[in-house]
Amino acid sequence: MNTAAPRTIPEYLDALRRELRDADPALVQDALYDAEEYLRSELAANPGTDEASLLASIAGSYGDPAEVAAIYRDTEVQVAQALRTPPPPPRASLPGRFFGVALDSRAWTALFYMLLSLATGIVYFTTVVTGVSLTAGLALMIIGVPVVILFVGLVRLLSLVEGRLVEAMLGERMPRRPLYVGRGQPWLERIAAMFTDPRTWSAMLYQLLMLPLGIAYFTAAITGLSVSLGLVAGGVGALLEALGVVDFEGAVHVWPFANPLVAAPVLMMVGVLGLFVVLHLARAVGRLHGALAKQLLVKTAQH
Amino acid sequence: MTDIDPHLKKFQKELSAGTVSLVLLAVLAQSGEPLYGYQIAKRLEQTGDPLLGGKQSALYPVLRNLSAAGLADSHVEPSVSGPPRRYYRITALGQRVLAEWRMSWETTRQSVDAVLEGNLR
Repeated sequence: MNTAAPRTIPEYLDALRRELRDADPALVQDALYDAEEYLRSELAANPGTDEASLLASIAGSYGDPAEVAAIYRDTEVQVAQALRTPPPPPRASLPGRFFGVALDSRAWTALFYMLLSLATGIVYFTTVVTGVSLTAGLALMIIGVPVVILFVGLVRLLSLVEGRLVEAMLGERMPRRPLYVGRGQPWLERIAAMFTDPRTWSAMLYQLLMLPLGIAYFTAAITGLSVSLGLVAGGVGALLEALGVVDFEGAVHVWPFANPLVAAPVLMMVGVLGLFVVLHLARAVGRLHGALAKQLLVKTAQH
Repeated sequence: MTDIDPHLKKFQKELSAGTVSLVLLAVLAQSGEPLYGYQIAKRLEQTGDPLLGGKQSALYPVLRNLSAAGLADSHVEPSVSGPPRRYYRITALGQRVLAEWRMSWETTRQSVDAVLEGNLR
């Protein structure tokens, strides 16, 4: 290590953050959380020892920041190899690439995320709007203080939950540990830190954005699915009627001038193609949204 | 010493990568109550050097993996000294897996010992 040995816990954590600066931000958050738990426990278990000498001995047991960073990097690679299902092999042909999307579990989970995002978007938006107005209204009274703390805590909890959803459904690595801001500071400073932490603001922005985004995702997914499925079902119905199997009594109109025996299969094909297009759309939305969530929920606080 | 040192380090690293899950699962199995990361690290420290020169920070990602694999389950409790602690407890699946790992470890140890002591025919 080319820097001086850390003398306080925040210095140690800063050194660890520097060592991990090119790692995935979600990994950084997990590593910092684990280190903080260990360091604070060690400090609590040895009352009376000064922080600097304690940290010197921790470099031997827990590891110095550089070693810890190396361990987390290595483990992340091993876990990623062991736990992730391998992506399907890329197909060279254009039709293979187009239809192969149906085998990509990521496209299906992203489609489900699009449908779910309306509900989560409403919850997030309502929480932030209610919290901001309550806080603003009560700010001048003493009861405003616990309300602010509860509200910011709730925003962080919701960001963690959203992070878990995004990682499970969109495949973007997100933190597994909540954001933790240093203890041991006076109350007022901790409350001030909540307001100066850019991640508090960007998490709220994300949660506000989730309502319009959720509406757009939900509408796009539902429209795409219903149009495609409607075309397939209409095609099947028209075909069955043309073959004389069922009689819809004129309720199914395929193409006014075309022979239903020709038009119905064409409609079904268009519907099936539409389903694949919807899956492609879901996968693309999933990628974009994962990047947005990473940016607003994780990255902003790590410089 | 310096020229064999890197070889020793590499060997220890590989050994510990293979055994650390077994050791952690055994610690969880022997404990009657859920344990958090720091407690587990301190228990291992008492037994000497089960991590083979490795650092205790390596435990945390492994604990998370055990939990993700369903061998241990975990819950969070607030703590007065620092961030909320994640407590781990072995699951029924973990108990069964540990029994299998133990047998596999015994077999490996016996055959490695047999080779090292030259008891081959």
